[in-house]
Amino acid sequence: MLFDLRLTKINPNMSSGMIECCYVQPGSPIKAGEKLFDLRVDLSAGFSQYCPPISYFRVVARESGFLRKLCVKPGDNVNVGDLLAILGSSIDENDDEVPARSLRVTTAGIAHHSSMWSARDQ
Amino acid sequence: MKAVPLKLGELKAEGLVIRRSPIHWLCEDGHLCRPSEVVGFCTISMEVALNQRGSNIPMTDELDFQVAIAPRTAGRLRMDKSSSPGGYLSVHGLHAWNSDDIVGYLEVATDEALDTLGQELRLLMLAGRRMSGLADVDAGLLPGWHSRSRAWWGDHEGPSATLLCMGICDAAGIVRGNQVPFIETFESTPRATQVVYVPDHPVLPCAPVLLDQFLRTPAQNQAIAADLGAALSGGRVTATSDDWLFAGALLSWLERSPLRDTYDVVTPTGLRHLGPPSAILLSLSSEAPSILRHKKLGYALQMLRHRQTSAGPAIRAWLASEFDTIKRSIGDIRRDYRLLIETVAKQTGAKIFILNRMSTSGYEDIVSYSPFDAPMSDTLENIAAKELNLMLHDLAEECDISIIDVDALAAEIGGAEHLPDGIHHSAAMQAVLRSAIFSAWDFPLQSASLAVK
Repeated sequence: MLFDLRLTKINPNMSSGMIECCYVQPGSPIKAGEKLFDLRVDLSAGFSQYCPPISYFRVVARESGFLRKLCVKPGDNVNVGDLLAILGSSIDENDDEVPARSLRVTTAGIAHHSSMWSARDQ
Repeated sequence: MKAVPLKLGELKAEGLVIRRSPIHWLCEDGHLCRPSEVVGFCTISMEVALNQRGSNIPMTDELDFQVAIAPRTAGRLRMDKSSSPGGYLSVHGLHAWNSDDIVGYLEVATDEALDTLGQELRLLMLAGRRMSGLADVDAGLLPGWHSRSRAWWGDHEGPSATLLCMGICDAAGIVRGNQVPFIETFESTPRATQVVYVPDHPVLPCAPVLLDQFLRTPAQNQAIAADLGAALSGGRVTATSDDWLFAGALLSWLERSPLRDTYDVVTPTGLRHLGPPSAILLSLSSEAPSILRHKKLGYALQMLRHRQTSAGPAIRAWLASEFDTIKRSIGDIRRDYRLLIETVAKQTGAKIFILNRMSTSGYEDIVSYSPFDAPMSDTLENIAAKELNLMLHDLAEECDISIIDVDALAAEIGGAEHLPDGIHHSAAMQAVLRSAIFSAWDFPLQSASLAVK
């Protein structure tokens, strides 16, 4: 069975997010409790001259699987609903299948850290 | 229905002539006013009166000085159209202040005659110290870029205490409000208070930076200016206009401690001078997990990341090469706060209020903490905020501070809706916090004779 992982509305006011970190590689097994992505959510949607209401979140898998396809990389801006990754319950599933449902994940607010994409120029 | 004339009322400064512009209205003719609702404003200038050569002009560093007008009672506003020609003519000081000038009428639903005070407008005084004389904007209330802005009701003898707000957006919104600067704050407080706001342009007002700024000598300020000037003019990165503008704002911030500032206030009974702030509002959100420490001169500095981004390449290179980044534990933050609070208490006696932090985003669904690196207060914002809030409670046991419980107030009205990123409030949250601050400040209400009808 395939699962999709899309950017969901972590905050009702958000329309997009940015990938700060990818912790997983295509083909790698994912364990429940493993971190997948760190995201940046900027509620000002690009009004960079103003104090930006930015929050950072970590997305963590709540179930095991295999990463079949990774659709994003650090620095990518993604809209709510965009596909981030496809996971499968086994390593040899047919990639042509339609995902049965979304992967169950946990989301938590985190502090900005030095491994993030946005910290690279500092 | 009775039409009550709206007179400007008294405004005095001994030995000086106060000039005003025509009225710039902020609402439409026929607007239904609340008591103390600001409906218009004029700009103010002062000059030495004839035969008063010895008089000094006050507030010369505050190039933006305006008086906003508010009816004392509810009613329908009828403007005197001749009071406002509009355009540049509503900006320039054309008239000497005359307390009997009538700028409009208020239609009130009463047959009773209002007393003299009821016919006079309430005057909200607003003054701004520009970051640069270049930062002039002609339109609106307190326009332009200010290193300090302040307001006070010009009721009788004026304010007797000052609340200074030094925070990031969480403090700015509370005092500067949601519409025009200071208006919501002053509509909601009956206290004889001056409120002062100093923005985080470009420095983050965290405790070690404020303490250094408070204690710095003029010679140390000169050394900082010389070092920065040398870095920009002789550094390996060519300075751009952004660098020089940023450097000017930085020096302006570093050289003058708002914790020591004193204030001239113009009131209906004359010019008065107020000492340093009686109360200071700080924000726990300003206490960054690290600060910058200058390698040679030793002073502390920190800026929000978007401020650093707005600096030019030479400033960024200077920050990277000339400063050490010093990590701060919660114990360090507590020590920094204690030093600042004790020093300020000794030197000015100001009461300190600190906004704590919202300790949940409202959107978390953590089922296991294993994906979050230890120590978790370095990783998870909600745990960091909880630990900092607890530290603040411990600090309150040993220092005379008042905690403004943002965490609890956000939980009461809905933090996810009213404080979605933990810093930027909704208008409703700003009103709740404003009320909490003035409730916590044990400062007397205005006497009954000054109270708004």
